[in-house]
Amino acid sequence: MIFTEFFYGAIAIALAAFITLIRIMLGPSVPDRVVGVDTLNTLVVAGMILLGAAYDRVIYIDIAIVYALLSYIGTLVIAKYLQGGLE
Amino acid sequence: MKSDMGLIVKTMARATIPLIGIFGAYVVSHGHLTPGGGFQGGATIAGAGILFIIAFGLDEAKKRINKNLYSALEGLGGLVFLGAAMLGLGVAFFYNTLWHNGPILNGEPGTLLSAGYLPIMNLAVGLKVYTGLMSAVFAIALFRRWRK
Repeated sequence: MIFTEFFYGAIAIALAAFITLIRIMLGPSVPDRVVGVDTLNTLVVAGMILLGAAYDRVIYIDIAIVYALLSYIGTLVIAKYLQGGLE
Repeated sequence: MKSDMGLIVKTMARATIPLIGIFGAYVVSHGHLTPGGGFQGGATIAGAGILFIIAFGLDEAKKRINKNLYSALEGLGGLVFLGAAMLGLGVAFFYNTLWHNGPILNGEPGTLLSAGYLPIMNLAVGLKVYTGLMSAVFAIALFRRWRK
């Protein structure tokens, strides 16, 4: 069963994600793309929460929490590589 | 170039490493009730370890990570999985004897202490995946020959 209000919210998030995807594909420099991927991670977390509410499943929230924690590490690894890497 | 990152990242890592570890342990121990399980939880906890290496640097990680311990724990995870699989060897390999007539882990379906040997296997796989991924990532981080 789909709760339509949450589903419309998820569609709006998907539109924002497509706009972010254009920035990632067109971004002239690497930091542009990194910021785009970071934005996309946050949007994906928001979309997961909204879809979990739309499908009325509490356990979908767990996956959003894991994604939010691990996307932060991914962005941090790229930032560390861009600032000079390990050593 | 310093091997560790700035103050904000270090403080943030101090706050989030226990959070990620606890959530990974939750995913592993509730593998028979919620999405996830041994591999997913182990990989989540390994994410906490990667955050430790990234935020605090290789020198700090070299003092904390013991490769013999990690190697032994990875073998122990595989052995516990096989041991749980052999518990019901009187009937068949992988026979879930803890669920059918065991003393523990045979509670009401849907509760934490149910599903027979599945929680034991999830813990074993989680331990194996965590130690294996951490050993691999740490070995790759130590590999530095491009300077020569």
